[in-house]
Amino acid sequence: MTALLEAKEVTKIYKKAGHPSLNKVSFRIEAGEFIGIMGASGSGKTTLLNVLSTIDTPTNGDIWINGVNLKRLNDTSAADFRKDHLGFIFQEYFLLDSLTIHENISVPLTLQKLPPQKIESMVKNLAERFGIASQLNKYPGELSGGQRQRASAARAIVKQPSILFADEPTGALDSSSATELLNALWEANQDLHTTILMVTHDAYAASFTNRILIFKDGTIIKELQRHDRNRKSFYESIAAEVAKLDTER
Amino acid sequence: MNTLSMAYKNLRKNLSFYALYLFSVSLVITVFFAFTSFSMNQVMLEVISTNGRVESMCSIISVFLMIFVVFYMGYSNRFFLKRRTKELGIYTLLGYRKTTILSLLTFENIFICFGAFLVGLVLGAIAHKGIVIGITALLKLSVDSAKIQFFHISAIRKTAGFILLVVFVLCMSNGRFLFKTSLMELIRFEKKAEKNMKFHRLPAFLGFIMILSGYGLALDIFRGGKSIWFLVGFYPIGMLTAMLIVIGTVFFISSFLPYVMKKSKSHKAAFYTKTKIITTPNFIYRIRSNARTLIMLTLLSAATLSISAIMALTVYYPIAAVSRIAPSEMEFRIEKEAQIEAAKKIIGRYAAEDVTFTRTDIYKVTSSASSLPMEYSVGTAKGDSDNEKILREAGFECISRTSYMTLLREQGKEEVSDSIPKLGSGECILVKYKPNSDNSLEVDSIYPLAIGDKEVPFTVKAVTLDNPFAFANSIGTLIVSDDIYKQLEATGTPVTSLMSINGKAIEDNEELYEEMRDMLAESPYLQGQSHRINELFSLNSSTFLLIGFLVVLFFIATGSILYFNNMSAVSDTKSDYQILIKMGYTNGCIKKIIRRQVLDFFAIPFAMGTLDCIFATVVFKAGLMQNLLGSTLVQYVPVVLAIALTAFIYLIYYFLTIRTCCKIVCKK
Repeated sequence: MTALLEAKEVTKIYKKAGHPSLNKVSFRIEAGEFIGIMGASGSGKTTLLNVLSTIDTPTNGDIWINGVNLKRLNDTSAADFRKDHLGFIFQEYFLLDSLTIHENISVPLTLQKLPPQKIESMVKNLAERFGIASQLNKYPGELSGGQRQRASAARAIVKQPSILFADEPTGALDSSSATELLNALWEANQDLHTTILMVTHDAYAASFTNRILIFKDGTIIKELQRHDRNRKSFYESIAAEVAKLDTER
Repeated sequence: MNTLSMAYKNLRKNLSFYALYLFSVSLVITVFFAFTSFSMNQVMLEVISTNGRVESMCSIISVFLMIFVVFYMGYSNRFFLKRRTKELGIYTLLGYRKTTILSLLTFENIFICFGAFLVGLVLGAIAHKGIVIGITALLKLSVDSAKIQFFHISAIRKTAGFILLVVFVLCMSNGRFLFKTSLMELIRFEKKAEKNMKFHRLPAFLGFIMILSGYGLALDIFRGGKSIWFLVGFYPIGMLTAMLIVIGTVFFISSFLPYVMKKSKSHKAAFYTKTKIITTPNFIYRIRSNARTLIMLTLLSAATLSISAIMALTVYYPIAAVSRIAPSEMEFRIEKEAQIEAAKKIIGRYAAEDVTFTRTDIYKVTSSASSLPMEYSVGTAKGDSDNEKILREAGFECISRTSYMTLLREQGKEEVSDSIPKLGSGECILVKYKPNSDNSLEVDSIYPLAIGDKEVPFTVKAVTLDNPFAFANSIGTLIVSDDIYKQLEATGTPVTSLMSINGKAIEDNEELYEEMRDMLAESPYLQGQSHRINELFSLNSSTFLLIGFLVVLFFIATGSILYFNNMSAVSDTKSDYQILIKMGYTNGCIKKIIRRQVLDFFAIPFAMGTLDCIFATVVFKAGLMQNLLGSTLVQYVPVVLAIALTAFIYLIYYFLTIRTCCKIVCKK
């Protein structure tokens, strides 16, 4: 079976750090998966996200997404690739403050040059799914943190990316808002078959995924599979693994 | 670490941030110091000033300059202060007293002003020297440049005193800001959440209507005598127009433009494009939060452009009109026959050949018609200048068609000479002093002229603005057929004789003119084209120069404010651009968005300022200037040049701003 994303021997060394932030990391992600990346601060999670999403380039190794080797992309083709294949959610929401929520969600679709009527109907449908339909004409500054993050998720998903990268999406949310967002992501994964790669340090957030890669010192030290377990049971095993790592540290 | 060394380190650390501010303040001080040195330069003032005119202008402009420098530095200081509110909040959190923070800011201002003062002294002194050399060469003055000090001590003292005053004003302004703002506000000042805003139609359309009415009122001046400008009065209508434009501009920018942009969003096909979806909401957001700055810049641009255009027109127009005021290189009334030989002798010493001497006898003819053109009676003495000392009796001054054609040819107007129509015995050509204010023509008008003891009706076959004599010698010139001219000669009509002297060899020769003046015992009837141009140059150049100081300062301020404002807007939204890059926007597309956003902010003040300038110039020209050249578009060339020069300066600032903004966003 062809992987949606394949990382092979990916290494990233920052000159200032001296040691590798990622050290020969290899893994595959199939289409429709919901993957979690966990690890302590400095373990290489964010570096991995940056190189997978073409924001940064690896020092060594290869990454393929949809059969495209990211190494072969120049600045312009990387921008086009992000536009056509990737979606992003960040901890700080990163919504454009001067645009309404409707306009924020519309931006990726205008990049794809879709007709206005289609853009409007897609934005409305997704806003309803994410529970922000009544907030569409408001500005980000008028919304709660949870609503903003759901708007940010809607913006990332609206263009139906091949893979959605989420960097600590619940990091700035209270537990109720975090649950609402994670449910929305889980539903998008189940109903729309959106492939999601989520970086998180929170075991509860990680329990919404199907598979978890645990990082330490730039390498994958453990992989946890959910299989047929329910979320609660998966959460307990993740929490146990995190506790074990904490004691080893 | 004490506040003095902290202030010094702050500036050193943020040198790139403050570099342009320091640069622009240095330029402002340069202009101020150059101006002050010039206004205290007794050697130059003695040569170029008549009746203390330049000295009084210097005093007035000096006040404007000082107000403007204080305003500009106050604006820039507040601008940088707002960008540092979070840092000031942190100082307060750490336990710094507000008085300590104020002294820190004051020390920083002292360092900046001192640096700018030093640079300004050197550049200002060089600029002053350059101006003196320029004026001396332009006006061909004999000035001993060794007597002119490079650094004028009084000018240094005045500039230093003024800078101290500026520092004091800035300190007061900073103190007011610091003590008025709470700690919470200091920390939260930088980023205010965007909120939905209601757009009111009334102020939006009020702005549009007021501006249109203002421009409409300005155009009304073209109705001539029926215009409200002449019926009610120039100054009340001028004030009303200016008020409509200023208030209209306020509403137009703060309400009409955002309203139109908001409405433009409903045009979905145009709005849902990768550039417009970002630039339109950003424009609405920025224009709301920066409306005051934009209004100020627009009014400043309008003032700068209008002053420079009117200044250029005021200098150019009289010079262009000299071809009518004094069409011959030299011309005088022959009071004694011996003057002819004396003139030829003097001129012969300067130019041996290629000089024409044409004597013309002008016959004064009266008319009993109830309605006569204004040229018939215009010209009674009113003022002190040379040509206004002349008393003139009402009447038509007749010359023959042949004499007229000869004079035109000698004055280099061959084409006009060749196009003169043939005249029948009852026909004439009327030479107009200026076009009628209602644009009517006297063609086909019939004037009975007293020739001998009878009245003969004459029909005006054509009117022209190509007068053959200086206005000092003849205003109501009437061209009649050669036969009629002979009749006038035979009937003993009162005559005046004029000598017109032309030729390239005697052009622009002040020494020759002086000699002729002495020979003619300072006769007010001696008129000369080159002399008149030189006289106008010397009269206007000091005005031009002094107002030039203000215009240069306006340009520096407008450009710098636009630069700071755009740079700050882009820095504040840098993270937004990073999001767009992550979404798949290419660097090229990001640059396009930046260019578009910056262009809007440059285009509004420039476009509105240009429109204001065009209407202001038109009103000034029609209302306050003599219409000697008719309605040719060529006379507006200096206005176009002034606008083009402004556009060029704006373009430099625009590209500089784009470069900095793109660097801020795209640097990795």
